[in-house]
Order: sequence, then structure tokens, then C-alpha cells
Amino acid sequence: MSSVLCPDIPNSGFSFDNCARNATLEGKGFPVPKATKTGTTIAGIIYEDGVILGADTRATEDTTVSDKNCRKIHYLASNMYCCGAGTAADTEMTTNMIASQLELHRLFTNRTVPVCTANQLLKQYLFRYQGYIGAALVLGGVDNTGPHLYSIYPHGSTDKLPYTTMGSGSLAAMAVFESRWKPGLTEEEGKKLVRDAIAAGIFNDLGSGSNVDLCVIRKGSVEYLRTYEEANKKGKRQSSYRYPPGTTAILSTKTANIEVHDVSIQRIDTDLLMDTTS
Amino acid sequence: MALAEICGFKNFDSCNNGILDTNIAKSNFNFTNNLELAVPPYSNPAHMLAQLNKDETGREIKIKFDHGTTTLGFQYQGGVVLAVDSRATGGSFIGSQTMKKIVEINDFLLGTLAGGAADCVYWDRVLAKQCRMYELRNRERISVAAASKLMANMVYNYKGMGLSMGMMLAGWDKRGPQLYYVDSEGTRTPGKVFSVGSGSVYAFGVLDSGYKWDLTDEEAYELGRRSIYHATHRDAYSGGIVRVYHMKSTGWVHIDNNDCMDLHYKYKEVKDTAENEII
Amino acid sequence: MSILSYNGSAMVAMKGKNCVAIATDKRFGIQAQTISMDFPKVFQMGPHLFIGLPGLATDTQTVMEKLRFRKNLYELKENRHITPTVFASLVSNMLYEKRFGPFFVEPVIAGLDSKTGEPFVCNMDLIGCPNAPEDFVVGGTASAQLYGMCESLWEPDLGPDDLFETISQALINAFDRDAISGWGATVYIIEKDKITTKELKTRMD
Repeated sequence: MSSVLCPDIPNSGFSFDNCARNATLEGKGFPVPKATKTGTTIAGIIYEDGVILGADTRATEDTTVSDKNCRKIHYLASNMYCCGAGTAADTEMTTNMIASQLELHRLFTNRTVPVCTANQLLKQYLFRYQGYIGAALVLGGVDNTGPHLYSIYPHGSTDKLPYTTMGSGSLAAMAVFESRWKPGLTEEEGKKLVRDAIAAGIFNDLGSGSNVDLCVIRKGSVEYLRTYEEANKKGKRQSSYRYPPGTTAILSTKTANIEVHDVSIQRIDTDLLMDTTS
Repeated sequence: MALAEICGFKNFDSCNNGILDTNIAKSNFNFTNNLELAVPPYSNPAHMLAQLNKDETGREIKIKFDHGTTTLGFQYQGGVVLAVDSRATGGSFIGSQTMKKIVEINDFLLGTLAGGAADCVYWDRVLAKQCRMYELRNRERISVAAASKLMANMVYNYKGMGLSMGMMLAGWDKRGPQLYYVDSEGTRTPGKVFSVGSGSVYAFGVLDSGYKWDLTDEEAYELGRRSIYHATHRDAYSGGIVRVYHMKSTGWVHIDNNDCMDLHYKYKEVKDTAENEII
Repeated sequence: MSILSYNGSAMVAMKGKNCVAIATDKRFGIQAQTISMDFPKVFQMGPHLFIGLPGLATDTQTVMEKLRFRKNLYELKENRHITPTVFASLVSNMLYEKRFGPFFVEPVIAGLDSKTGEPFVCNMDLIGCPNAPEDFVVGGTASAQLYGMCESLWEPDLGPDDLFETISQALINAFDRDAISGWGATVYIIEKDKITTKELKTRMD
């Protein structure tokens, strides 16, 4: 039921409303602009107690660095994380959606979700869109059967591997793994190896840059090391470029006051929150 | 002692023949003859170069730098007035806000530039040389008609190869004040009122409505200034400074430069007070 | 030629100490031709919340109305003002819905959290990939110039007055090097108890 007073709430899923218009524009010489790419180095390994994932933190729009410290290791479930490379919006939205499906699945089955389930959900979703959803993922997690590491390609094919890399810096990172990975690495050795692999991507691939993020997933615990290492420190500014007040010429000023009628603060006792984790 | 001598070149002219006649000369034609530009080694360069003028989507690529411009020139009882803006753009990026788009060829000849900046500057320089050569050979200044024809003939040799320029030549010779329009397509025409460039439509709007033969000098300068100002206001690729020149019987005079921002707020104030008076 | 630079625009939002600012140019043009010098591209979506929509002007307006509808529906359902973070998710979600036939806008969001007063700035690409950094965000055809200006001018913990000078100078000097944006500018300074709107004197060519 659609009316002027109450327009329809659109259906879920993708909308193709603008496609005809955009195709017309393309025909007139206005191609669809490029979306933000992660331009990434992401990597993951299996070590003796679990999985270590790593990522750089640069997002690019064509040749511009649009985000210097973005988060590329996405949460999927409490025992699973997923690194994303490719079109930034696709990796973000795909992992978000799969994360909520996994949570529902966990609540429904009342057990820790196996990593292969996430892999299956992701590959089926990506296969359905035939590569048009540009998400290249490294999925890692620990479940009852032990640590697992998958790489998932945009067209929906997957690999189950002991160590893997993805993104534009994958060659540099893989070179490090190929020479130094071995079964049964300790956690310290593992972290050092993944850091070196990501750093290789950061310094040798122009699409990757900024910092190293790590995520260590063990049986029963996760350590998300956001900004594990600041590989590229910004130089310190020598002096301030602050303008004295009155520099900018103003034509008019208008001030709208916001009146705060009353402030009420409701404290929430965090211990009494509904516990859905177990 | 010149560097060439230190390096052991005894006779510059002889080594000139030795080196410049061979490979180096082939890619530096205009070093020895500035009417001759290096062209790609195709059998029909005009045709092949024209093919490179399309981008991957089939849209025409124009020479990017300084494509947008507003220039104008008109004749009136006091001579010729030229007025130009000063913005140089590469795509939508503003490369310069202070470009000089009027070239002083000699004391009695001015040229304006619009189109590819490099093309205009280069060929204006060549023209200046040709005009001076004429003067030395013939012991009198070149007429504007002859100068404009030199220009038109020079660029006509490269027609279709991607040169992009639209220029006005203003001068004062034996026959009095003159104004010519010359462009890279080979057009050459005398006239009373011209405006060239992406902002010319806006400039013409003001110019045509205010133009008459009997303008005083001050009125003429103001008309030129206002026309360019209004063009810079509406045209994204014009702006910066409005430069006004006057060609008199005694040679050209640079009248003034005005920043478009100052002009805008000056004109706006006059307009606002006028509106308030009506109310 | 990108469709995002068909109409021309420049926009920037910056965090300060207990305040945020968002600044925009006012031009609406069709390629080289300037049509209007008073075109709204920044919209208020709550007492402390603004969104700027640089890009194709037709989509600026369509997206603004769609967002206002969704925001109103949220507020009717929830009976409270939308927070900047939730609003950013709403925008991101709406743009990603059109992943394969996008709107040609790159939103810039600025606001204060109505409860905590925490400053928030965020921008997105045209398919809704959110980016919420600690300093500033930019958008529009002058974004390359704006990145340069902001990287050098911005510093942490600017008060409302210093923030105004910084954001204004960043915007003005950026769009003075862009042919298709400018023609006037508006700056909104968002503080806990007031919103200050300033119109700037700029070049008009």
C-alpha cells in the first residue's frame, strides 16, 4: 500500500532502481565513478594454538588515500574474524551480514559455530553474485575441531590453507610466508611472522600502507591487536598553522540556541545485561 | 669564456652542422627553424594525430591546459580596447590565477590568447619574431592585416593536428586602428567587436548591450572590464584578474588590472544601494 | 569526466574540542556554467546533526529526502533523536542497497552525540563504505585540495572559534584552486548548546 502520506518501505536486498539511468549516463560518456578500494595486504596463518590474522590499514580511492587507519579485520563471531580486501563497502557489508547470520545460527543451535559454516555462508553468498560483489576474504577461527583458515575469492571459490594472503600486497606477504612459515609456530613467532608479512606489503605495495593490525584467535580467547605496530609514523609538526581569530571575512552570522530542557541519565548495570554469549 | 669554448668547441657553427644535422636535429626542427614543429613519422600526420584526440569513451580530448578563457576586444572612436581574464585551468584544477593573456608583440601590436596555452605562447613568440624581421627588412612597421595573415598562414600548416588557439590581434598602423580574429582552424577576419573563449557568450551579453561607437575612453574601459567580470562570474573556467589595454595612435597603453573579487564586491555594493533606493 | 564533477562541490567536516564544524561551498553549476550561488548541500537532521551531500545535484536532493523520511520513521518508532553513529549506519545502509546502481553522492556527516556530547565526523564513498576518522573528512570535486589543506591546518582540541578559522581557511583556499566549486561558503559550528551558522565572503569567480 503506497500513498502520498505513507510511502512504501522498500523491500530488503539490493535495489536496481538507478541502473537504467546510470547506464544512460554511461552511454553519454559519464562512467560510474570508482568506489573506495581497500588496496590491501591481508594475511593469516595457523600456529600451534590457533590462528593469527593480519592486515594493513590503508583505504584508497583511485590514487588518493581516503582512510589512513581503517579497520580491515572484521568481527564474524566470538571465535571467528575475517580480513577483507577489495571494494571496501562490499567487505564491510558482507561480513556484517554474515556476522548477524552466524549469531542467529549460534542462538538457534546453542553451540559455538564451526568455521566451515561461515566459510559456506560466505562462498554461497559471493557465488550468487558471480564476482560482482568484490570481496576477497581471509577467514580465520577456532572451533571445537581446532584452528581453521580459509581464503575466499570474490567469485565464491575457497581454499583451506595453513597460511594465506590476499589483496594487492599478497605477493609480497606470501614471499615472507613461503620462506619462513613452518608447522607448530609459537605465538610469538607467529605474530612476528604475520607482522613481517604485512610490513612487506605495506612497504612494497603502493596500495597498502599505514599500520599493522593483528588478531590472535586461540581456543576460548581472542586478542584483537588494533595498531599492533605503527609502521609509518607521521612526522611531528614543527609549528602551528593556527589562524588568528578574524582572519576569515564573514558576511553574516546566525546563532540558533539549543535549549536543554532536562537531562536524565539512566545507569545500566552491566552485570545484569542479558547474557547471550554462552 | 663560454662553456662551449671550455669544452673545446673551437667553432660553434661547424659543430652545429655536425651534430644538429643528424639525429638530434630530427627531433629539434624548431631549434633551427621555428616554423617547423616535430610531427610523428606517419605518412599522414594530420590524419593520425586526429585519431589520438579521442579518449577511451570516445569523447573528444582537447588540449587540457588553459582551455577556459574569456578575452574580448572592440573598436570605438578612441581606438581599440582589449580586456582579458587571467585564469589557467587543467581540467577543473586551477593552474594559475595570474596568467598574462595579452601579449605585447611590439609597441603598436597586441595579441590575446585563448585555447591551448602552450600553442598561443609559442606562436605569438614566433609571430613577434616575424614582425620584427619584417620591420628590419622593410624599414617600416608591419600592418595588422599582414601580421594576422602571417599568423593564419603559420597555423594553417598544422590544421587538424590538434593546435587549439583563438586569438585577436589589435594594432594601429598606417590605415588606423585595426582588429583581427585569427584561430587555429585558419579563420582570419577583421571586425569591430570580438570575444573569444569559454566565457565569451557571457561577455557578449554585456558587451553588445553596452557597445556604441561614440564611447568615451573611460566608458570603453569600464565596458570591457564589466564584460569580463560578468563572464568570470558565470563561467567556471574564467577568473582571476581583469586586465584592460587600450590601443591608441601613439601605441598601446596598459590601463589597469583589477582582481575579480574586488570588482564583485564593488559592483555588488553599487547594486545593493540602488535596490535600496528603489524600495 | 566523472558524473560526480558534473555540478561541482566542496565540503569538509572537522572535529574540535566538544564541538564539530561542517563547511560547504554554495555553487550549483552545469559543468562550466554557474547556475546558482545559493544552493543548499548541507542539511540539518537533528539538533546536533548535519549531513552534507556533495556530488550530482539531482541525487543530493533525492538522497536528502529519502534520508529525512527514514530518519523521521526511526524517530517516530523510537521516540528519540537519532544519534550521529546510528544515522551514519542508516546512510551507509541506504547507499549500499543501491550497490549496483548507486546514487552519485559522497556523504559527509558531522554531529555531536546528544547524550555524551562526543564529536563525530564521517564520510562515505558513493556505495556507502563508512570512514569515521579522528580528525576530519572531506568530499566533493575539491577533495584533493581539501586533503592537503586539512592535513596541514588541522590540530587536535581546537575550540569553536579556532575551529571556525581553520575549517573556513581550509575550505576557501581549497576551492580557490578548483574551477567548479566555490561561489560563497557556509560554515556550521555545532556545540552542545548552540549552532552557529556563518556565511563567508569568498571569491565569486
